[in-house]
Amino acid sequence: MKYHNKFVSYLYILPSFLLVFLLLLVPMFQNIYYSFFQWNGIAEPVFNGFSNYIQLFKDSNFFTSLINTILWVVITLIFPVFGGLLIAVFLRGIKFGNFFKSIFYIPITISFVATGIIWNYMYSRQIGVLNTFLDLIGLDKISWLVNVPLNTFSLLITWTWQQLGINMVLFLMGLTSIPVEQTEAATIEGASKWQTFIHITLPMLRPITTVVIVMATANSFKVFDLIYVMTRGGPYRSSETLAVTMFRETFTMSNMGYGAAISVVLSIIVVAISAIYLRTMVKKDLLYY
Amino acid sequence: MVVLRKTITYIIIILLALAWLLPIFSVIQAAVKSPEQFNSSSFFQFPTKFALFDNFKKAIQQWKLQEFYLNSIIYSVVGGLITIITASMAAFSIVRLKPKFNFVLFLIIYSGTLFPFQMYLIPLYRIFNQTGLYDTKTGMILVYSALAIPFSLFVYRGFYSTIPKEIEDAAMIDGCNSFQLYTKIFLPQSIAPTAVVALFQMSWIWNDLLFGMVLTRTGNARPVMVSLASMSGVSGGIIPYIMSGVIFTSLPTILLFILLRRYFISGMVLSVAGD
Repeated sequence: MKYHNKFVSYLYILPSFLLVFLLLLVPMFQNIYYSFFQWNGIAEPVFNGFSNYIQLFKDSNFFTSLINTILWVVITLIFPVFGGLLIAVFLRGIKFGNFFKSIFYIPITISFVATGIIWNYMYSRQIGVLNTFLDLIGLDKISWLVNVPLNTFSLLITWTWQQLGINMVLFLMGLTSIPVEQTEAATIEGASKWQTFIHITLPMLRPITTVVIVMATANSFKVFDLIYVMTRGGPYRSSETLAVTMFRETFTMSNMGYGAAISVVLSIIVVAISAIYLRTMVKKDLLYY
Repeated sequence: MVVLRKTITYIIIILLALAWLLPIFSVIQAAVKSPEQFNSSSFFQFPTKFALFDNFKKAIQQWKLQEFYLNSIIYSVVGGLITIITASMAAFSIVRLKPKFNFVLFLIIYSGTLFPFQMYLIPLYRIFNQTGLYDTKTGMILVYSALAIPFSLFVYRGFYSTIPKEIEDAAMIDGCNSFQLYTKIFLPQSIAPTAVVALFQMSWIWNDLLFGMVLTRTGNARPVMVSLASMSGVSGGIIPYIMSGVIFTSLPTILLFILLRRYFISGMVLSVAGD
């Protein structure tokens, strides 16, 4: 039974399609195009082939930025992700678990900009909260955001504070779906807590673990706001990651073509991770809790 | 042995929880103290008078926060509404009217979630300068809607495919046309996906820094997070003013989260699966 004509059914899709097509898809291809040009944003772009991409390999700032980005990803997997899993497992077994859960949850509601400003105050050399505590126990004050490589680790502490709650909540959700009988049976047969965790809990958490790891990895590749607010990538470009380097080259130093090339490299990495993920999972049953 | 292990677990969790609360406590404490008291007293002294609102008044005067605040409210509400209407319409057509190429159209729109935002910045900056959309509210609303639609379409599409076909057939027998089917049957049932979209996309728009920095210049269109970020320079500024600004600019998203928190998990899983 037909009660609508074909033309009308396209009209419903048109507004979404136009907005996305004109403001995202067209710019995306333009961006790839610009990455083959030398362009300062004002004069006419000059075609220079792959020079922007070749220059990336010679640029020590890009190299620092790439190393920092990889560091962000690795540390993210250790602290906010694995740490989030450990806390989720701990909280399952103790009294007031929900109370503690909501404490780790609070930072989720706060923007990266606000988080960055809060932690700038925490890390401030003269009046900062952390240095006040160090002072109290008789230790020297630390320049948390100035010393290299400490500044990147300070940023990562803030990142952990922000992100751990999300991962913890997702792991808790995964843990509740594991039947209690499974772990009980293992305990009765004499398995230790650690053995139960490794052989029963972890394998059963696999779908949610994949979700968390992919999300956390993609997010740590894309991180921008926090670094921009807290260090502007400095001092001397020491704490930049790819997203920050792209912004700096483009909008501070007016190397538009070079900035476009960096964003293309960043996109290739992020899309590759998503592709691996899409191939290995996207199980329908995971989509609707 | 078991008791010892339990005690250690508790101690670790309690210490971590305290560490997580410390920044929150510090913000509130600094925002409540007057600048004079903040400078003269140590961190461990409690505020003698409640200066939060005075601090916020000063922050507004100094940084004209109210202009930016209003801009961001407009972006979140209007951008959110445009997203909800356009994405739910598109999802309705893709799931129920199934025109030719519906899946291809879905994939094209959905591909907007795949790439990092850096991929769009330079061309948008150029297009906006050429078309006069630079530093306008219209331009920002368009960009925010475009960025919010792909994920929202995914959410609505997933939800609409769970609505049983019998309802649609019954409506058709009653003589509904497709627009009535959408407004009378599909939209009223869309509370859950709309809550997810509102929670994630409206707070994302409110929290945006990047597009606000690149596509605006003046209070005419600057969103609130850009002005908040500019409050905290390297020099530091007056901490109680800044911290009161942090609290007041965080209130809308905190309220949204409290109102819609039961949709947080399902939205989280969707956003991940959709990435």
